[in-house]
Amino acid sequence: MLYSSIVFLPLIGAILTGLFGKTIGARKSELITSTLVAISALLSWYVLLNVGWVNGKNDQVIVILKWLTSGALDLSWSIRVDTLTAVMLVVVNTVSAVVHFYSIGYMHNDPSRQRFFSYLSLFTFAMLMLVTSNNFLQLFFGWEGVGLASYLLIGFWHHKESANNAAIKAFIVNRVGDFGFALGIFCIFYFFGSLDFNTVFSNASDLVDKKINIFGYSISAISFICFLLFIGAMGKSAQFLLHTWLPDAMEGPTPVSALIHAATMVTAGVFLVARCSPLYELAPSVMSLIVFIGATTAIFAASVALVQNDIKKVIAYSTCSQLGYMFVALGVGAYQVGIFHLFTHAFFKALLFLGAGSVIHAMSNEQDMRHMGGLRKFIPKTYILMLVGTLALTGFGVPGLFGMAGFYSKDAIVEAAYVSSISIGSYAFTMLLVAALMTSFYSWRLIFMTFHGTPRASKEVMSHLHESPNIMLIPLIILVIGSILSGYAFYDSFIYAGFKEFWASSIFILKDNYILKELHDVSYLIKWSPTIMMIIGVTFAYYLYIRNPHIPQKIAKDQEVLYSFLLNKWYFDEIYNYIFVRPAVLVGKIFWKRGDENIINRFGPDGISKQVVKITKKIVQLQSGLIYHYAFSMIIGLTFIITFYIIVGRGS
Amino acid sequence: MIVVSLLFYLFSFIMIASAFMVILSRNPVHSVLFLILCFFNSAGIFLILGAEFLAFILVIVYVGAVAVLFLFVVMMLDVEFKSISSTVISYLPIGLTIGVIVLAELMLVLFTWKRDYSVTDNLSITTDKQYSNTEIIGLVLYTDNILFFQLAGLILLASMIGAIVLTVNHRPSAKRQDINKQVERDAESSIKNIDMKPGSGI
Amino acid sequence: MNLLIFTPVLPEIAITIVSMFLLIIGVFKKNEKTYSTISNLAILSLLVVLFLIFSGSVPKGVSFGGSLITDSFSLYLKTLILTSSIIILIVSNIYLRNINLLKFEYIILVLLSVVGMMIMVSSNDLISLYLSIELQSLPLYVLASIRNKSSKSTESGLKYFVLGALSSCILLYGLSLIYGYTGSIYYNEIASNLSEYDVGILIGVAFTLAGFAFKISAVPFHMWTPDVYEGSPTTVTAFFAVAPKIAALGLIVRILITAMPNLIADWQSILILLSIFSMLLGAFSAIGQRNLKRLLAYSSISHMGFALMGVINGSFDGVRSLSLYMLIYLVMSLALFISIIALKTNDEHIENIEDISGLAKINPVMALIISILLFSLAGIPPLAGFFAKFYVLYAAIDAKLYYLAIFGVLSSVISAFYYLRIIKVMYFEESAISFDPISKRLKTIIYLLTAITLLFFLRPSIFINFAGTASASLFI
Repeated sequence: MLYSSIVFLPLIGAILTGLFGKTIGARKSELITSTLVAISALLSWYVLLNVGWVNGKNDQVIVILKWLTSGALDLSWSIRVDTLTAVMLVVVNTVSAVVHFYSIGYMHNDPSRQRFFSYLSLFTFAMLMLVTSNNFLQLFFGWEGVGLASYLLIGFWHHKESANNAAIKAFIVNRVGDFGFALGIFCIFYFFGSLDFNTVFSNASDLVDKKINIFGYSISAISFICFLLFIGAMGKSAQFLLHTWLPDAMEGPTPVSALIHAATMVTAGVFLVARCSPLYELAPSVMSLIVFIGATTAIFAASVALVQNDIKKVIAYSTCSQLGYMFVALGVGAYQVGIFHLFTHAFFKALLFLGAGSVIHAMSNEQDMRHMGGLRKFIPKTYILMLVGTLALTGFGVPGLFGMAGFYSKDAIVEAAYVSSISIGSYAFTMLLVAALMTSFYSWRLIFMTFHGTPRASKEVMSHLHESPNIMLIPLIILVIGSILSGYAFYDSFIYAGFKEFWASSIFILKDNYILKELHDVSYLIKWSPTIMMIIGVTFAYYLYIRNPHIPQKIAKDQEVLYSFLLNKWYFDEIYNYIFVRPAVLVGKIFWKRGDENIINRFGPDGISKQVVKITKKIVQLQSGLIYHYAFSMIIGLTFIITFYIIVGRGS
Repeated sequence: MIVVSLLFYLFSFIMIASAFMVILSRNPVHSVLFLILCFFNSAGIFLILGAEFLAFILVIVYVGAVAVLFLFVVMMLDVEFKSISSTVISYLPIGLTIGVIVLAELMLVLFTWKRDYSVTDNLSITTDKQYSNTEIIGLVLYTDNILFFQLAGLILLASMIGAIVLTVNHRPSAKRQDINKQVERDAESSIKNIDMKPGSGI
Repeated sequence: MNLLIFTPVLPEIAITIVSMFLLIIGVFKKNEKTYSTISNLAILSLLVVLFLIFSGSVPKGVSFGGSLITDSFSLYLKTLILTSSIIILIVSNIYLRNINLLKFEYIILVLLSVVGMMIMVSSNDLISLYLSIELQSLPLYVLASIRNKSSKSTESGLKYFVLGALSSCILLYGLSLIYGYTGSIYYNEIASNLSEYDVGILIGVAFTLAGFAFKISAVPFHMWTPDVYEGSPTTVTAFFAVAPKIAALGLIVRILITAMPNLIADWQSILILLSIFSMLLGAFSAIGQRNLKRLLAYSSISHMGFALMGVINGSFDGVRSLSLYMLIYLVMSLALFISIIALKTNDEHIENIEDISGLAKINPVMALIISILLFSLAGIPPLAGFFAKFYVLYAAIDAKLYYLAIFGVLSSVISAFYYLRIIKVMYFEESAISFDPISKRLKTIIYLLTAITLLFFLRPSIFINFAGTASASLFI
């Protein structure tokens, strides 16, 4: 009952406001959905406490209904609750509740708020279904459900063409990942004959020695499955090569960016890999790939974030980069660390996004940082919020003493990469360190450009400048607390001494996987290195944007190639456009014009209907109304039948 | 037997020829007359086959009643004399083609026909010479074949009702004889005394 | 003489006597109420006969020296015929009053025709076959032109009569050939004498089938149908569309299955031609129609093509599917015709498709009902029409006549075109007119028939078993 209500309260809200939004009115719709999600969030915290520390009873499965039975496929729609799920429940519901309340203020001018809140709750429900699933198919449905909700929310302002395009782009790029994911599910069913988590995970070791042949290469079946699943995760979590949709997704309303594209949906990939840890543990080659992709994403996204001017794009790339961190953690076998970072990141990244939203709100929908500056005097509360978020993101803290949320989780990832025994670990370590520097730089650049210096906005905008209403700011306090304390408070249980009891069986690691113990025993230099990087980054940013604000432009001019390379996001969109989009459009046009219109339509529907009408006209003409015509037709018919019969002869 | 054969072919020939003339004559009256000729010849064939009852019934009913009725109708309706118009000619080729094909097919039947005595012997109702053909029909018509007889009667009833319902038109203005009314009349209701004043009409 | 030998044909005898009795009443008692009195008496007596048949009081067996046979199959078809005539008589009572055509002879003619049809489905020799067909047809010719002040009605009756006479000639020619080659008029003797393959008998069969084809208006003997359907009063049209078709199909099935089982390969090829032509031509021609009755005429041609598919195999399954088809066709067609009769604008009955445009806004219930019926006629699951088509197609496939089934599906698709067009007109076009209220009795009948169409899928086994036991009696 408890678990069911957590999952279904948002759905009830979504249905109520979606179907009856017009009748019950905007205000009530907002309150209903927000309250329901808030209740859900409170219950989630209770569940986390209960599952993580008090009871420790893991792996509860509650069957809601028999879903489908077909041959060997026997699926129930159920809720699986273990620590991993509980953590995800907390993340999803907390951020969602905050975003719901925040949106009441943020969207107060929008005429179709009911729809917005309905979508938000629908998304929350789909995400909950994803994290509570007990089999791959339900997981997939949740996966597609969040994809759908994301599509609807990115394109929420459907009158904006760019929003529509972004929504479609997000949907299509995700299809690539989903295709891999779906193939992975097929393979799982093929090899295990079941899609149930417990069955699959307990039989995983049987598959290690099984080889399958793909294009002449012999690959271990388990690696192949893991690879396919990882492609799905890459798509959803916007990893390198499949990341292009995430920055564009910022076309959606800012609360959506905070909820979906920072805290929850994009972490679904991380969740997937962590959930499938019993499989991944057996596929070391795929683990290396994950580390590589993660590290590359981290450095790539951070580098792009350095030069972006759109406040939301900076944060979006930052998200992308942080997701790379998480994947590195997963890849080196420190799943707990990855989830820990997911947990802390949700707070401060949501905080940053919502803070940015507050800035945008104050600046009358201005998103370009070049037109901001000196805002801290006008919107001091927002400034403080953003500052907390930035400190948490950059990993501010003193090792061994205290730090913000990101300090614990991010540094742990860097250390895990360092101690990792796999060959690609050192690459990851280097990349992550540099990325940490960049993170610090672009984060502070954002703060400095937005809140410090002289105001660069037009007078009109400045005159409208106002602090956001309390309904937008008060919910953020929860995130502030999370950003400051979540690292310190949960460090011990998540990844330090108490991790075994805390996670229990929800994450599986091999017996010889000691990385979680080793990462705490690194040298001081390594422990300090991220912090040092952070400080260097801050210094650079301070030097360039406070002290000598003209230098950045000079650098950009001197290093034009590098600058435009970064500004244009390594030209990924252009390359993809050239390699995939244009040929696809060309092929599509050929099929459309030649195949569809010239062949199928001409001989198909259009042609047939034309012929039908023609034949009809001819036949109707036969009906002349003259009796001797009728009689004659009877005689002709009779003759025809007899003649046909004599010539062709008997039937069968 | 040769005389019988000769007669058969004679009757047949005249019958077919007159049937042709029925549809080819320009004058409808001629057509009906040819039809009568046709009937007479088929009656002749019936006679040759020994079916004298059918022969006479054909003459009495068809010639005596139906054909004469036709003749009256045709003459009274004053049907126009239509020449073989161009429309008929335009249908001639296809009509002829169809006709020839049907004829050829029927010929096929004729030439492939094998006389099967076991079957054809069944065709004669009785071999008993005690009764004449007419008597035999009388024997079975109301007994064995009562169903057919009654059905034919019903058909006639239906056509009678049909003919009446389609043609009788009760105009309220028409004056009709009502026997009941006539019988019921008495002096009191029929005779009225009117006090006439001299020099005035009714 | 033991009168009990007549009990198998008691229904026919009873109706005959009733019709004559009513005729006498009608002739001698002429006033305003005559029509409804006679109509009610006729309906009552038909109901009694229907009840007798339904309760199983009519014994099975042959009568009149083997000329008539009463078995489950004929009783089943008689049930259908009686049901449809009862419904028609009830509806006629209302309709004829509206168009001011209260002639009591109408009822007598319907009764006589019903007798003819009942004998048709019972006939077991060639003479009763021919006579019953004539007894059935003659009243219909008159009924077609009973509205003798309307030139269209007269014209339709005349056309029907002349072409009917021609078809009778063809039929008689065929029958005489069969008789000549087998030496018997009785089906069972024909069957035993028909062992040899002979061109003559085959041409006889072809002629006979052509004569039958006229009665079920199969292509190319269908030309009379649209004109007659259009010209006749609508109740008569509805009667034409259902009862004679059922009777003629029953007769075809019986003669083919019991008298010519040896010739199955021969009549099969003829029937396949008729079936394909009918389905396709019916479907194509209906598209071009504006007049609802003409459209339904073509629709019924197409449906007859489908029904014929059931005979082609000559198997139990095929006949069962045909029996079921007739039942469902009866329900759907009657319901649709009565719906059309029920719709009036300022006391004028609707004629054309445009007349019901926008019906959905004015009378949504009727629009919905008509849509359901049209969907059913088009064969959309889960309505009854789907099952009808499904079973005949199944029979065709079972007989390995795949191309026939393909033609069936094809024509079904084409016919969906015009059924859907009517629905489109009802729902998506604006209406300029209003409709008069519908009488309660019509409403009840329409609702009842539509309910059967709609809910058939719940327990199809009831009807299928009914049709199954009926068909089984042909294959003993």
